[in-house]
Order: sequence, then C-alpha cells, then structure tokens
Amino acid sequence: MAINRYTKMAYGSADDMIFGKSKFPVKAGLDLEIGGGYTSPEVNYAPRPEAGASKEKLVKEYQRITTDIMNRMVQVGFPSVVLETEHVEQMTNNPTWGGEVAHAQKEIMEEFHDEYGIKCALRHTPGDIREDRDFLGLRGDKFNVLMESFEEVAANGADLLSVESMGGKEVFDYAILRNDVPGMLYAIGCLGTMDMDFLWQEIASVAKKHNVVAAGDTDCSEANTAMFIGGGLLDKNLAHTLAIIARAISAPRSLAAYEAGAVGPGKDCGYENTVIKAITGMPMTQEGKTSTCAHSDVMGNLVMQCCDLWSNESVEYHAEFGGTSVQCWSESLGYDCALMNTALATGQEKTLRDLFTLSDKYRDPQGYVLAYDNAYRVGEAIVKDGNDIYLRAKNAAIKSVEIMEEGAAGKLDLTRFEMGALTDAKAALEALTDDQDTFMSDCMAKYKEEVKVFLPENYGL
Amino acid sequence: MTSLDIDPSEILVRYNVKMEKAMTPEDAAAELYPKEELFRPIAEAIFEGEEDDVIEGLEAAIAAGKDPIALIDDALMVGMKVVTDLYDEGIIFLPNVMMSADAMLDGIEFCKGQSNEAPVSKGKVVCHVAEGDVHDIGKSIVAALLRANGYEVVDLGRDVPVDEVIEAVKAENPIMLTGTALMTTTMYAFKAVNDRLLEAGLKVPFACGGGAVNQDFVATYDLGVYGEEAADAPKMADKIVAGASISALKEEFHKH
Repeated sequence: MAINRYTKMAYGSADDMIFGKSKFPVKAGLDLEIGGGYTSPEVNYAPRPEAGASKEKLVKEYQRITTDIMNRMVQVGFPSVVLETEHVEQMTNNPTWGGEVAHAQKEIMEEFHDEYGIKCALRHTPGDIREDRDFLGLRGDKFNVLMESFEEVAANGADLLSVESMGGKEVFDYAILRNDVPGMLYAIGCLGTMDMDFLWQEIASVAKKHNVVAAGDTDCSEANTAMFIGGGLLDKNLAHTLAIIARAISAPRSLAAYEAGAVGPGKDCGYENTVIKAITGMPMTQEGKTSTCAHSDVMGNLVMQCCDLWSNESVEYHAEFGGTSVQCWSESLGYDCALMNTALATGQEKTLRDLFTLSDKYRDPQGYVLAYDNAYRVGEAIVKDGNDIYLRAKNAAIKSVEIMEEGAAGKLDLTRFEMGALTDAKAALEALTDDQDTFMSDCMAKYKEEVKVFLPENYGL
Repeated sequence: MTSLDIDPSEILVRYNVKMEKAMTPEDAAAELYPKEELFRPIAEAIFEGEEDDVIEGLEAAIAAGKDPIALIDDALMVGMKVVTDLYDEGIIFLPNVMMSADAMLDGIEFCKGQSNEAPVSKGKVVCHVAEGDVHDIGKSIVAALLRANGYEVVDLGRDVPVDEVIEAVKAENPIMLTGTALMTTTMYAFKAVNDRLLEAGLKVPFACGGGAVNQDFVATYDLGVYGEEAADAPKMADKIVAGASISALKEEFHKH
C-alpha cells in the first residue's frame, strides 16, 4: 500500500465536527456503521491474572466476557456495541491463540445478532510485541509474529484491526523524563511516524486480504505515557503543559496509519483523535469519564465531543455488585451513547457537544488544547506542511504552545511551574531548524550517544 | 465554539494554582544547600542537573584536599537530598530529579575513579519488570529514585524470567526486590516470584506496582508490598533499613 500524506482538512470548520457522525463512516461487522449518525459503546476488558496460564483458560475467559457484555446490552436495550480485545502478550506471541479467541467471541456475537438483531463488531488489537529484552526489534522476527497474529485474528472473526505501536518509545522514555522537547519531537514525530509508515502498510494489506477494516493506531506508548506520568492537578511528575505538547506531536504520528490505509475507527486511548478526525473525516473511538476503571484524566467529558465509539479503555474481568465488571461498564457506556444519540435525534447535538467541551475546557491545559475548536487549529498546523513529517510535528507542538499562551491570557489558569515548562518548551522549539535532514542527523548523533537502547536500523536509518 | 461559554471558576477548581507554594524552587533550594564553600557549588550543580559543573566542583574540592569517597556523602548526596526533599514537598517535578540523578551518578563515578576505596551504599535493591512485559519506564523511574536516595540498584531490565529474578536475589542479597508490570496477566509472574522466593527461604520484601497492578492482588502473596507510586520505593527502602518488617510495610503502604 502507498503512503498518501494529508495536506488539507476534511472539515471546512471545527463547528462541522460532531459526535456520532463522520465524513467517511465505516461499515463493519454485523450491520454496524461507525460514524454513520449514531454512537455506540466500545467495551474493552482484561482477563483475570490467572487466565493467562493456558490457551484453554484464556478462550474460556473471553467467552464469558463476551457473553456477559452481549447479554447486558440486550437486557438494557442498547442497539449496538463494539467489543475490543486488546491482546495479552500470550495471545500475540502465539498467533493461533488470538485467532481462537476471536473465533470464540465472534460465534457468540453472531448468535446475539441472529436472535436480537443487535448491531455489533469485534475489534482485535494484538500487542506490539516487537521487542526483545534489551532492544526494540521493530523489523525483525517479532514483526513477523505480529503480522501472523493479525492474519489469524482477521481470518477468524475480528472485524477491526488495531495496534498500539511502540515506534520511537526508546528515545521518548529518555526524553520525557528530562523535559527534552526536541527529543520528544524526534521520538514521536519522526521515529514514531517512520515506524507507523512501515507497520500500517502491512496491516492495511492484511485487512484488505481478509475484507476487514484497518482501524488505526494510537500513540498510547508515548503521549498516554506522558499523560499518565503527568497525573492529576497536584502530581509533580510532569508539567501538564509538556504532556499536551507530547499529545499534539502524537497527532501526526497517529495520522500516519490513515496515510498508509487505515480508515478508522481510531483507537480509544488516542486522545489525539479529535485532531485526526478533523484532518481525515474518519470515525474515532474515544474514552474519558467512563474509563475511570482504567485510569484518571482531566478531560472526561470534553473528550466525548466528537467520538463515534465511546470506550471504557479496559477493566479487569471480575464481579461487582451490579454484575460482572464488563457488564457494569458496558451499561455505563451504553447510557452515555443513548444521551448522545438522543441529542442527535432531537437536533441538539451541537449544544450537547459544546456542554461536553466546556465542562472541561478550562480544567487543564490538556483539555484546553484538545477542545475541538483548538484541536482543529492543531490539525491545520499539521496539514500545512503535511508532506514533511518533521515540520508537521514541529508545527503541531508550536501551535499547542500558542494555544496555551492564549488560554493563559484568558480563562485558563496555569501554575508558575506549568508556565515555566511552557516557556522553556517554546524556547527549545523556536531554537530548532526548519530542515528535516539537519534535525534528523543532529538527533541521530545525540540520541545514539545518550540512549544506549536506540537502534537506528529499527527505522531503516 | 459557536455560542456557549462559561465562567470556569464556578465549575471547577484549579487546586494546583490555588495550592502553589509561594517560594520558587531556586529559593527553596538555596535554603537547603550546604554552607561549606567547597560543597555548595557541587550541590548547586546537582540541583541544576549540570554534569560538567558537578565534575568541576569535585575537582576543586579534591584539589583542596577533600577525600573523593567522602565527597560522595558530604557533597553529592547532600545535593541530591535537596532535590529529593523538594520533590517530596511538591516543589519540583520528576524530570528535575532525573536530571539531577544523572549528574549525581556522573559525580559518583568520577569520585570512584579518583580513589581506590569503594563507597558504601545505604543498601542494595534488585529491580525488574515482570516476565512477558516490556514496559519499563516505571521501573526506570523507580531505579532512578532509589539511586537518588543513595541505594545501589541492580537493574535486571524488562521481561525478566522468574528464574533470573530468583537467581539475582540469591546472588545479590538485596534489602528489597521491586517488580513493575503493565498488564494483568504479566503481573501474575509476581506471585510465581513470591512462591519461589519462599521455597528458597528468601524472605525479602517484594515491592510491586505499575499499570494494572493493584493492592488487592499484591496483598495476596506473603512478600508483596504494594507501591502506589514510584516515589514510594525509596521510602520503603528507608523503612527496611530502619528495621521494618514486611507486615509493617504493608500496614504503612497499603493505603486502600
């Protein structure tokens, strides 16, 4: 598959974007249309620790999970659902295990679809296992195993294929812990995008071969790491102004999946997805207030603003008062979607969207930049130099800084520390060259020296 | 945003803005630096995370007759304590600690190179990421914070087989073992490590944390102590050095 860079926006204005509707809806699975005028829950889960002991135990665990979710959807009357199975490492490392799990899940979903007509689809997300103990091994034997895993799940019932890829993470982990913005830019924007180009052409080929949907990636391994390290308002592990710069840079990285053939829905934990939807017009999954079973964030309502699927991120399968954990969280997701769908049916969707956005827009610099109006501006900065993977990432970073400065001059309160980190980041960005080759060669020399586990050959360098 | 807007002060509270300390980090650090004129520049250089300035300060102190190994405790660790204390108080951020720790470790290596003696650490800790799990940023933070607090760290890396963890504990005789994991099924390896350690009669505190790891799971095995955040690791180590038992550690660090 070829790489086709985005150099213009899919939407004419930010206000055209809404939840439940995308310019290019995706048909998937059993009668489901994602982004076709309604939102659906996307339920995500993890097996109990002891279930990883054998293939049989894992398959049985996923059968229970799938049955529980489908049952609850029907019991409460929700019209559609997506299930996402994020592989545990045993499933991707043993591709037939993943295939058997997908097959077992799809059989159950088909039974419910046949009996009740519930629209549904199954996403499988193999783990990015392309690592050895000491080094990333993005293009070696592990890559072949990963692609076998995609083949197996696509052949056995998965409707949507995704991954949370690791490209650039070795340099990113070093840079983010040292307030090193150029390092973040190199890791996410350049190395990450180069790996995405490589990986997603292959995934798109598998999807095409099996007539399923290549659904997109997320910069979980980097931007979400930054967000997670950033934590809440009182945590002192990373300035949130830096976390959102990492997020802005992650948008062109995740965009690369679509440039290589993905069509959505983008992965739930890609908080950069509003930017990507603005550029591509493709549907997106998001997670926020109904993923607190997995992690906390500071934009739980805001991130619903333009979602097409609404996810809980992940919950360990176990008993709760209200049923099993997957039943409880899928029901919560279902009610969130019912509210959005009611807004769509009554023509109130833009009002609800703006309420979602406003409830968190000033909560934190991360939400401020990701508010759909500002996210759209980050998208414009990316497509302006869409053919240059370095410049577009740099543009995204600079635009996010500019947006935060505007916010700080208005209703967005920042601490002195956040402002200090923002000022330092801006100075670091302004000192950078505009020439990709110069930046790449300078960074190659610096990070080969400083990051012992950085192997340029992973990126074809 | 087409039509709606709000006064956010009525909707949310930026507690971080509200609670921000009046003192700048630099002012706070200045109050904590050692008074000795040969040590102070070294401590300042550590706070700033400037490796070259640390070495320069050490060279000046050694030229003035200070013992290189004694400088580790008297200057480098004192400078690092300024950093870790301010981090604990919420005055500085983790990246400042990481950069300072890098500078301190360069300083320690320099001092070791200037002497035939070996420095004495507060204790040895073995760190690892669970078998099957390659996500190691949490382990790297734990290791850096332990080193910053004067502990010797044996870092086994990521995706470490259970056998290798057991062998390392036997060989290194650490005061504590740490394990991090991101996923539910990989953290199950912690239980295997616990059982194998007990079989071998090695009752070493086993601090576990990260991603999907939760207190309920860690509490199910005898040696396990749950760490909610990376900064708990040096605090646990300090308690162990002071004589705390595993049950005392659980009592203190199991917060939920």
